[in-house]
Amino acid sequence: MLTLENLSKHFGGVRAVDDVSLTISEGEIFGLIGPNGSGKSTIINLITGLYVPTAGKVTLDGWDLTAMAQHERTSVGVARTFQNIRLFGNLSVAQNLWVAQNGHEQRRAHFLSRWFKAGGEHAPDVEELLRFSQLHSKRDVQASALSFGEMRRLEMARALASNPRVLLLDEPAAGASLEDGQLLAERIRAVRDRGVTVLLIEHMMELVMGITDRIAVLNFGRKIAEGSPTEVQANEDVRAAYLGSSHKKEKLIHA
Amino acid sequence: MDAFTISVLSNIGLFSFLAISAWVLLICGEISFGQQAYFAIGAYAGGIATAVWQWPFALGVGFGVVLGAVIGGLVAWPTTRLSGMHYAIATLAFAEFVRSCLNVFSYQREVDGYLTGPDGANGFRDIRWAYEAGVEPLGYLGIIAAGLAAVIGLIACMARGRGMAQLRIVGEDPILAGMQGLNVNRIRIAAATLAGGIAALGGALYAHLATYVEPAQFGVMIGVHSLAYGLIGGLGTVFGPILGVLVDIGLLESLRVFSSYRMIVFGGLVALVLILRPRGILDEKTVRRIQAWLRR
Repeated sequence: MLTLENLSKHFGGVRAVDDVSLTISEGEIFGLIGPNGSGKSTIINLITGLYVPTAGKVTLDGWDLTAMAQHERTSVGVARTFQNIRLFGNLSVAQNLWVAQNGHEQRRAHFLSRWFKAGGEHAPDVEELLRFSQLHSKRDVQASALSFGEMRRLEMARALASNPRVLLLDEPAAGASLEDGQLLAERIRAVRDRGVTVLLIEHMMELVMGITDRIAVLNFGRKIAEGSPTEVQANEDVRAAYLGSSHKKEKLIHA
Repeated sequence: MDAFTISVLSNIGLFSFLAISAWVLLICGEISFGQQAYFAIGAYAGGIATAVWQWPFALGVGFGVVLGAVIGGLVAWPTTRLSGMHYAIATLAFAEFVRSCLNVFSYQREVDGYLTGPDGANGFRDIRWAYEAGVEPLGYLGIIAAGLAAVIGLIACMARGRGMAQLRIVGEDPILAGMQGLNVNRIRIAAATLAGGIAALGGALYAHLATYVEPAQFGVMIGVHSLAYGLIGGLGTVFGPILGVLVDIGLLESLRVFSSYRMIVFGGLVALVLILRPRGILDEKTVRRIQAWLRR
């Protein structure tokens, strides 16, 4: 359903993403791993429209995302979270969800009536998401006053509020303990069970190996392996990329 | 109420329109030094409608508001692509452009045997609706208060609906707002339209109170002040900019103790508030706390 075709992004001479092709199927939890600087976040930025690709394209069910404006990509069903959490800190928890929820309904009549119509903060979808992310007791708290873990949960809930078909998670376990990681794994599965396809970028290998259906491995912007968690773990190139062989080490020093 | 109190209160009311206008854009993350342009447009358009075309007062004021809003939206269309300092300079340039245009804008027609209408740098005399309709200063203060109440009501509706939250998220993080599926440019244009209309309403009411307007009245300092009102009073509620106006006009300008030091005290106050409370006295956190307290 989500397809990357020969996607490349070059920053001057640096090939952050270099001719990567991927196909992620509906209902899958797809892992994208690789050492630091291998181009994982760049791929998410290309899918969501933060970057314009140097070459190649991204399609979602045949829709060419690369031809769309950022806010249009949300309306066809792409949502994401950020490695360094990004919330609307001056809004309350409920408001964060409420503005994201169907924010893309931009037909003029809707636009105006929604501007002035009250009560959206208590819409059923918002309440459901608050419960889903266990933030119900914090609904009126200013988002910037939440704890780190709560912020992460709110960020994921906000991404879900736009009713996405694909959710891109950029290192959701960063800064989390192993225990938190297990809770996170359950939450990600629950997201998938809502019918949302998940693309997961993560360094916590226990998490990635435990919940993903398939994994692609990136190194220096290129895809070096793809397959089930067990296949990927057994792959020589992947081991070399992560643990380093003398050859790879040299390449790292020169990079 | 004595005449002095009435005139101070009228001034506070009129400046509140300008302050709210600049505040709407501040919420949206845009610093405008040019809202006095829409104040001037409202004053001239409203004045021409009632004095030259002899339209009824409400219709004339309405015409000023619509014109201010439309021009606000049109100017925003290219300028929303700018941000920060670049946007601020564009607004400043537009305001000076409007002032220069009014300096050469002559449109005089004979009404009851007198030439009436704007006459370039000589200004625009005899906007006499209030005098002809026999509205006393106290009554006119009531009209200003009603207009202000309407604006506050409109903003309150937006705060209950999605509008204010959308303005706030665009102001806080436009990229992230775009990722929520919001058309950031459209929201900025809507905010500029609203801000233009609010400032023009203030301008139209001002023209009919003063009966005389001239281009020199709509200088840069008014724009700087109206921006500062929101920054002092706070970005958390529409009463923030009004509080800013109260502090400046109500205290500094009207009390004789401060009269010769007004600008010094005002400048110091702006600096102090920005250091101690970067988002003003009534910032979002304070407003949330007050709301929670009121709900109990």
